[in-house]
Amino acid sequence: MQSGIKTSTNIKIPLSFILFGLAAFVFAQWILFVESGELVSGQFRIPAVWMSAHLLILGFCVMIPMGAMYQLVPVAFLTPVWNQTFGFIQFFVTASGIAVFSLLLGFRTNIAVYGGALAVIGVLMFIFQMIKTLQKQKTKNVMSRFVCAALLCFLLTITAGFLLAWNLSYGGILKHDSILYSHITFGTAGWFTNLIFGFSYKLVPMFSLSHGFSMKWAKPSFLTYTAGLTVTIIAYWANRFPNLLTAGFLLLFLDFLFFVLDMKEILDKRMKKQLDEPFVFSLTAIANGFMIHILAALFVIFGYNSYEAWSWLIYLYITTWILFSILGYLYKIVPFLWWTHKYSDKIGKEKVPTLKDMMNIRLGVILYWLFIVSTVGIIISVSLQSGIMLMIFQGLFSLTSVIYVVSIIHVLIK
Amino acid sequence: MTLKEQIQNALYDVLDPELGINIMDLGLVYEIGIEDEQNVVITMTLTTPGCPMHDSITFGVQNRLRQIEGVQNVDVNIVWEPAWNPDKMSDRAKELLWDI
Repeated sequence: MQSGIKTSTNIKIPLSFILFGLAAFVFAQWILFVESGELVSGQFRIPAVWMSAHLLILGFCVMIPMGAMYQLVPVAFLTPVWNQTFGFIQFFVTASGIAVFSLLLGFRTNIAVYGGALAVIGVLMFIFQMIKTLQKQKTKNVMSRFVCAALLCFLLTITAGFLLAWNLSYGGILKHDSILYSHITFGTAGWFTNLIFGFSYKLVPMFSLSHGFSMKWAKPSFLTYTAGLTVTIIAYWANRFPNLLTAGFLLLFLDFLFFVLDMKEILDKRMKKQLDEPFVFSLTAIANGFMIHILAALFVIFGYNSYEAWSWLIYLYITTWILFSILGYLYKIVPFLWWTHKYSDKIGKEKVPTLKDMMNIRLGVILYWLFIVSTVGIIISVSLQSGIMLMIFQGLFSLTSVIYVVSIIHVLIK
Repeated sequence: MTLKEQIQNALYDVLDPELGINIMDLGLVYEIGIEDEQNVVITMTLTTPGCPMHDSITFGVQNRLRQIEGVQNVDVNIVWEPAWNPDKMSDRAKELLWDI
């Protein structure tokens, strides 16, 4: 079989998404730092936290994967992006929508729906772009299933999110809490986890140079996750069947277990002994995600319904699984993007740096440890109800975020 | 030194930017074809289908071989069969990967 595919996307598309995402990341952390007094008492449902959460989740955790997908889908699925001009338009619509929506949530909640509508249009454009791109893929594989499921969940997330924003503006839609839980579950477990799973099946073997692994748990993992998500969502809406929620979370835990077994086999069969530190950070995020799934399953089995505990579990899920995965992979993706842009046509003509030369890995390791220490510190501060400690550790997290972003931008001047 | 030997030597200069190891030691090059003493056809693979370095490595091979006197055209055919596996690597590449 021969390959004749042109795999490159205009670098300006993924870079625009990534730079916007990095700016949103810093702003979100800064707001959390300023509002740390409210957080220590478990007050999450306040406008400033909504603004920060949506800057972090939509601005960073959605925009970065979107940018990464513009780069990775063509190479991983061996099919070019459907329409690159449409990609630029989609960026401007989505970025404007997310910025306006987040600001309105913080300052004019009653009209946030208008910003939300713009963000929804941007997300719909992205889903359309990806569907058109994936349609051209000749041979579907396990990655295609995870990514398609992620896109479907993304659509359901923004539909639920739009209903929530509508309710905040006009009211009238019943079952607000069921919509909220569906929104969070579709967004975190449906969109992010499916996406990270799908791309991990490509990126983990690639970065560890692994061969001869079976991926035998990929299909069971996909099926149990789909079943787990479906059962969990039904449980939110059918309050009369409390056991459904337990079943849903157990299925989600099983799915994660299957995924972990596959990742372990891939790493056991790797050829590269010393893995790059940023990649190791993304791998530790898998362990974090697995631990959180175990905790969530235990919570529902033993009927532990503490609002604060669940809120912090969601925080840990977003921070130590989703955010840490992205922070690790960004240290691989951005150097690759910039290297390809700057040196791709010079390789073979003159001496060019390797990808590892593009990043300050030593600084990266320090930053990763600071992220871990500040996250642990935040959890301890909340457990001890210490406002001062929370301010210190959230401040450390915010400062680390700024240095991290500067270190990423520094690559772009190499 | 024959043209084929010159090409072989030159390909040792083309590195996989992710691994920092040249494509010959990685065992990525399957065949070196020479037509009319000036047109070169390199049949090679990558460590995985959908490798993000697809275009870069292809450019690298073309750029390096065009520096050899007498070489006019360089075509790079990327193939996926037979699939690459670690047995195709030289002992040197294996040592580098396992020890670095």
